[in-house]
Amino acid sequence: MNRPLPAERQHNDSPLILFVTGEAPRSRRAHLNLTAALDETGIDVAPPREIDLLREPQEAISFDIFATPALLHIEGSGHRRVLYGDLSDKQSLKDFLSAL
Amino acid sequence: MNETDVTEEHGLVKRATGIHDLDMVTHGGLPAGGATLIIGEPGCGKTIIGLQILASALERGEGGVFMSFEESREQILRNADAFRWGPKLRESSRCEIIDGQSMRQAEFSGAFDIEGLLAVLDLCARRVDGTWIVLDGIDQLLRRQPDSQTAIDQVAQLNDWCIEHRYSLLLTGKQMGDDNPRPDYLNGIEFMLSTILRVSSTLVDKRLNRRFRIAKYRGTRHNPDELAMLIDDAGIHLPYAEPIVTEEVPAAGERIGTGIKRLDKILDGGIYRGSIVLVSGQPGTSKTTLGAAFLAAAAKRGERGLLVSFDEFARQIVRNVGTLGIDLQSPIDSGHLKVLTRASWAALVEEHYVAMLELINNFQPDCLVIDPASALLKSSGADSAFLALERLLTVTRIRGITTMITSLSEADDPFNESTLSHASTLADTWIVLRYQIIGGERNRSLTVVKSRGTAHSNQVREMLLSTNGIELADVYPYGSDVLMGTARAQKESEEASLRQRQLKDRLRQQNRLARDIDKTRSIIQQGQEDLERLQEELKVEHNDESAIDNEVYRHERHIVRRRDPNEGGAKK
Repeated sequence: MNRPLPAERQHNDSPLILFVTGEAPRSRRAHLNLTAALDETGIDVAPPREIDLLREPQEAISFDIFATPALLHIEGSGHRRVLYGDLSDKQSLKDFLSAL
Repeated sequence: MNETDVTEEHGLVKRATGIHDLDMVTHGGLPAGGATLIIGEPGCGKTIIGLQILASALERGEGGVFMSFEESREQILRNADAFRWGPKLRESSRCEIIDGQSMRQAEFSGAFDIEGLLAVLDLCARRVDGTWIVLDGIDQLLRRQPDSQTAIDQVAQLNDWCIEHRYSLLLTGKQMGDDNPRPDYLNGIEFMLSTILRVSSTLVDKRLNRRFRIAKYRGTRHNPDELAMLIDDAGIHLPYAEPIVTEEVPAAGERIGTGIKRLDKILDGGIYRGSIVLVSGQPGTSKTTLGAAFLAAAAKRGERGLLVSFDEFARQIVRNVGTLGIDLQSPIDSGHLKVLTRASWAALVEEHYVAMLELINNFQPDCLVIDPASALLKSSGADSAFLALERLLTVTRIRGITTMITSLSEADDPFNESTLSHASTLADTWIVLRYQIIGGERNRSLTVVKSRGTAHSNQVREMLLSTNGIELADVYPYGSDVLMGTARAQKESEEASLRQRQLKDRLRQQNRLARDIDKTRSIIQQGQEDLERLQEELKVEHNDESAIDNEVYRHERHIVRRRDPNEGGAKK
């Protein structure tokens, strides 16, 4: 594992974090795809937090996320799941969100 | 950014990798700005190349970033600990090791970008003021892309980014052989990057042979050959990387002794310093003894000698030649001589080559014996044995180390041996030792087949071993053959008695003649005496005759006077 998570990141309202890089097309698409999927499934969850690695590259090391876009789900148990890509494959996104 | 060890060639700026052999074959290093792809099968040493380059950079006071998509930070450091330079990676504050293997457990939905990766790399490289970035196992990341074109584009993006930021980037990736049915995400990349190193491995005699090749290095001279690659605790070696500059070879005129006086005489005073002597012969023809005598003589001159044996243990050699009056123990004790044994089968030819080169570098011998050099043919990867030997001999020649290599001939006729016959072209002096079987006994013979720059004798000599060392004896030419051993001794003894007999006969003849001369002389003396006596007699005879004549005359006169009346006979 890389350097430990900064303490303030341990407490987050949303179990979902979307890692993006600026206004990159895939990042924008992922944002839209995620929003649409959450709306569609009607899951009651706090809005995902977004981290722009271009502005906060150190967060990549903190969360071990090195490609964008990436959707991170930290479960209550602390278990992490990551879904990389622009989330264009609806079925895999749906499967990922079903654990919420 | 640190710009040490940077060279420029035709506009291409290179950065030294710090791996000596790699810098040799790349003529100065890898691109100072841009990506180099190292591809190969698993276990070929790709990661080690990356780690060693990083460690060398740290050693030079540069910084670097190592990111692995396959192993954890701890695994990487543990791998590195196996090398001398390994602790440097653990201890240095200018080394960033990023664990990127989390990608392996992730799920994927569509294509992804690597700008985040670039941002992280830039952050880390700036933090340590780094010049080198290693992305180990880049294929683990790229194969997650839904199509290979995206992967290729992103490698191009990485390359451009490194050119722009003047980072030297190493990408390592697995590539299976051509018969691998799996899609290969690295195929397209080869066309796009300008620097590609390929490592491979094959099993030869159940032993791993690693190979290295610069598949591509645009815009610069480089060695394109497939080279043997070794990995030891010092890291990567490309044994044949260093070009041999033959112009440096000095042509020494000094002759040195071989330890066998008679042989030195045959060789017109000995062998040239810095030259190469090949001694070939069947088992038991005393090749080792000849080598030992040569080194003992070197030690007596106060020179340093090195004996690398592939046959016997050092102690056995010292003991065995000791019984022949050749003292190796004293020079060993005084530090003038080193005797080492290497098991030919225990290593690759290249490993033997590297080890011997290191021995030569460390011990700096004046004289070297490799006994038998033909044992290299028994080691794994023996197809390159001659290359290894040729390079080694060139090194000894350049450094003026007088070298004797022995070669075991399997065939009855050492001239027809297939083993190291090539080596005879490298050798300046070729001595062939043989057995001659005559009259139920084996006798050792020595022939100087060739000796460059020497008016040597081409005669076969018998080699005699005794407690006083090695001696050479003239053989006995007998018809079209030569006689040795007992046959020679017998023939010599027959010759001697015949000569004795002839001598006696001659003496007898001389005595007889002397006697005849004496006899003749005495006959002559007797004759002389007779002659003188006869002459004396004759003289007396003449005198008598005169006296008688006078008497007769006087008598006649007296008669006449008495008859003459005028003459009174009475008056008279």
